[in-house]
Amino acid sequence: MTDTKSRDLFPGALEMMALRLLKREPMHGYALVQRIQQASNDLLQVEEGSLYPALQRLLKDGLVEAEWGVSATNRRVRIYRITRAGIKHLTSEVTSFERMLEGINLVLTLERA
Amino acid sequence: MSWFTQLFHRRRLYDDLADEIRAHLDERAAELEARGMSPAQARDAARRAFGNVTSIEERGRETWEWPALDSLLIDVRYGLRQLRRAPTVSAIIVVTLAVGIAAATTVFSWTRSVLLNPLSGAADADRVLALETTTASGSWTPTSWLDYRDYRKYLTSFDGLAAAFPTSFAVGEDSHAELRRGELVSANFFDVLGVRPAVGRFFPSNGDEAEGAEPTAVVGYDYWQARWHGDSTIVGRVVTINHYPFTIIGVASSSFHGSMPAERIDVWVPAAMLGQIVPTGGWWLRDRGTRTFRVLARLKDGVTTGAARAEVEAFTARMAKANGDVSKGMGGMLLPLWKSHWGIQDGLRAPLLLLLAACGLMLLVVSVNTANLLLARAIGRRRELGLRFALGAQRGRLIRLLLTEASILAVTGSALGFTATIWLTHSLRYLLPRFASSSVLDPHVDVAVLGFTVALTAAVALFAGVAPALHASREALVEGMNRGAIGTVHASRLRGALVIAEMSLAVVSLVLAGLFYDSFRRTRAVSPGFNADHVAMSAVSVTLAGYDSARAQTLLRDVAERMRREPGTSAVSYTDHVPLSLGSGSWEDLRIEGYTPEPGENMKLYRAAIGPDYFKTLNIALDGRDFTLDDDSAHARVMIVNEAFVRRFLSGRAALGARVKGWGNWFTIIGVSKDVKTYRLTDSPTPYFYVPVRQVYRPEHGYTFLARSEVPPDEAVRLVGQAVRAIDPTVPVFNAMPLVDYIAGPLQGQEMAARLLALLSGVAAALAAIGLYGVVSYAMAQRTKEIGVRIALGARPGDVLRVVGVQASSLILIGLVLGLGGAVGVARLVSSMLYAVGKGDVPVFAGAAATMIVVAILAVSVPARRAIRIDPLAALRAD
Repeated sequence: MTDTKSRDLFPGALEMMALRLLKREPMHGYALVQRIQQASNDLLQVEEGSLYPALQRLLKDGLVEAEWGVSATNRRVRIYRITRAGIKHLTSEVTSFERMLEGINLVLTLERA
Repeated sequence: MSWFTQLFHRRRLYDDLADEIRAHLDERAAELEARGMSPAQARDAARRAFGNVTSIEERGRETWEWPALDSLLIDVRYGLRQLRRAPTVSAIIVVTLAVGIAAATTVFSWTRSVLLNPLSGAADADRVLALETTTASGSWTPTSWLDYRDYRKYLTSFDGLAAAFPTSFAVGEDSHAELRRGELVSANFFDVLGVRPAVGRFFPSNGDEAEGAEPTAVVGYDYWQARWHGDSTIVGRVVTINHYPFTIIGVASSSFHGSMPAERIDVWVPAAMLGQIVPTGGWWLRDRGTRTFRVLARLKDGVTTGAARAEVEAFTARMAKANGDVSKGMGGMLLPLWKSHWGIQDGLRAPLLLLLAACGLMLLVVSVNTANLLLARAIGRRRELGLRFALGAQRGRLIRLLLTEASILAVTGSALGFTATIWLTHSLRYLLPRFASSSVLDPHVDVAVLGFTVALTAAVALFAGVAPALHASREALVEGMNRGAIGTVHASRLRGALVIAEMSLAVVSLVLAGLFYDSFRRTRAVSPGFNADHVAMSAVSVTLAGYDSARAQTLLRDVAERMRREPGTSAVSYTDHVPLSLGSGSWEDLRIEGYTPEPGENMKLYRAAIGPDYFKTLNIALDGRDFTLDDDSAHARVMIVNEAFVRRFLSGRAALGARVKGWGNWFTIIGVSKDVKTYRLTDSPTPYFYVPVRQVYRPEHGYTFLARSEVPPDEAVRLVGQAVRAIDPTVPVFNAMPLVDYIAGPLQGQEMAARLLALLSGVAAALAAIGLYGVVSYAMAQRTKEIGVRIALGARPGDVLRVVGVQASSLILIGLVLGLGGAVGVARLVSSMLYAVGKGDVPVFAGAAATMIVVAILAVSVPARRAIRIDPLAALRAD
């Protein structure tokens, strides 16, 4: 029932991805889930529900805003929009994430050599 | 969003989240349905993809929570529900905690007001020490003014030294005068103690220099409020004190009550005014041998108590040599205030500390019992806790849940106990002799006492909650893995240990109570050597009335004469020292003809100045003749001594006719009285002597009339007061009460302490019984099936009882042995506080053990009876 792959995401990864996608356009939770799966070529099997606690955290920290609205399929949904603080946060997160990834990569390639 | 709006809009936030999740599931299901799934399949698949809805919703909500506060509230709510489900156990825990905490907090508040806070209102009171004089025999005595002046001049360890002589003042004009506690103090008194005036100023720094030159007074804050209604124009007013006009120059700060612990002083005047306050006493300031003052010293910064003590000891030793005529062999000691000999704290210190220890002991039993009951409940709930663990509760969370329950109980118990304390603190007066209680400050509940309660509560909650919580959470782990009984064995061992601890602590407190009761009983059984029944007493202060010697003598004679004429009166007399009074009394340095003192022998003997018929009034057998009104300064000086005096100084000689020198005159012994207990019932016979009031006039302690009368005691007391008023209504009367009440004073404290200890140990024993009952009942319940089988196979009640007994008796025995062992140690610790109670006081120990055994058997008998009645069929069918 529980997808172990979703647990393999490091803390904050989901938030980062959500912010990245919301930066392109506002959307609601269901759409976000779909988009993450598509964008990652289904490599990331995110447990759909786990996005919602992440969105709540972003809301609380003021990185996104939410508003009830109507979706493309004419459903009443809550649409999330990234805030200025969110953009700033995303930039710094991505930078530090890339640096971390670079570091990990260096170590891994060293192992292989 | 501010935390404030978050806090109040959380309901909406949660609803939004729930709606959103529902919308998500709908959308996913719709999509799956569109791909050809049946509605039911689609809904299931949507849920599967989504994950655990409840848990995700909860995680989402957690974002908005104050995790600590919110889960605490949940735990509290849950804990309350749990406690309501077992009302009896909860009630037992709450009530016993309340009793334990009320007792401990009450005794703490007493201790605080008497011992820990002896100088309220003084700045940096912990830098203030008592400098006290010791006699050649090592006992304590006040300090003379001249010695004090020398200390002040030569000692270098102190920032300042103050002197105070507490006494009673008649404040106001003649018939409107009221008796108030006052102090004659050195001019620097307030400066040394660091007290600030609420109004006006204090004495000028040169106020000690000229006798009689500083007729000023400072009044206490409460007195100022009561008598002058806080009028700030009080400064400059003239008030009559002991018939002498004093100008009020200031009011002390509200928290300051004088130098005496637990006593409220209302008026202060400079010591240099002694001659005006006590008309016959001005010379005391010039006599090194007249010791009346209390000395308080403030340590200099950077000087240690040890260094100061060394300086005091060296200096007083030099002074004793330099003033060999009056101070030979005397010394000085530097004491923390709580160890000072002045005031009631001296007599209360030991009983209070003992009671505090006993309360601590009882609180320990209460905590152990609470732990035991909580543990029992935790075991009963192990299925529930196991389930919680299986559902993903973390161990820490479970521990916190159980600790929260323990805390709810502790807090409820403490709140009750603290409320009781507010009432109980006032019962301190029952520990005090009746004549002392009126002047004593009421101890009160303040921040420190509240803090003490809070600390106790936290300690109890931790102590009583941690073991069960740790255990139960561990149990839950086990339960989560298998349903075996591994944890149960551990639990019964832990509970057994707790019961043993309760039993042994209860035995210790029973022994302690027994020892004190025994000591009290033996003390009370001691004959004082005189008969106080049917004797009324009333004291008068002739100095307060401004009398000189001649007028005082007339007053004493006339009041006695008038009282003697009352119907029912058989004898009347008066004395300046009532036997068995608290306090040190007066002594005189004697020379006895034909007796050569050994080097360094203490010839300062305690005495009383009395009127005629003293021995007849108190039914003391007398050889030779009594004093008469003719034994005055115009006639040959005479003395009556006790038998101990004769044995020590006049052995082998005719006592009657022997000559003794004191007060610069030779006295002839005309009578020998039986020994009476003059200071404490527990004293061994000590040489003591009596002189006629008309030959030795020492008014400083006042005179007390004693009247033996057949009328009811309270009526007799009233008659004495009436006789005094008939002669002179302006003479202040105090200590008017039956003599039996007065001399019972010191015993009253002992009796009270013994009773309190008995109560505390009773509670401890009852708690141990509850603990034992719980453990044995639980064990029986576990073994119901086994016992059922045994009964089915033909076991008789006796056999069943043996099964129960084996377990219970090992707990009881171990508890008893440990308890008695501990009690032996405790008895050794307190032996110095006990009278005629040996270290191996077998009956007390045996009695405590027997009491505990009876209580234990009673506790076990209930589950035992239940075990006998087990119906084998029902037991086997169960489960």
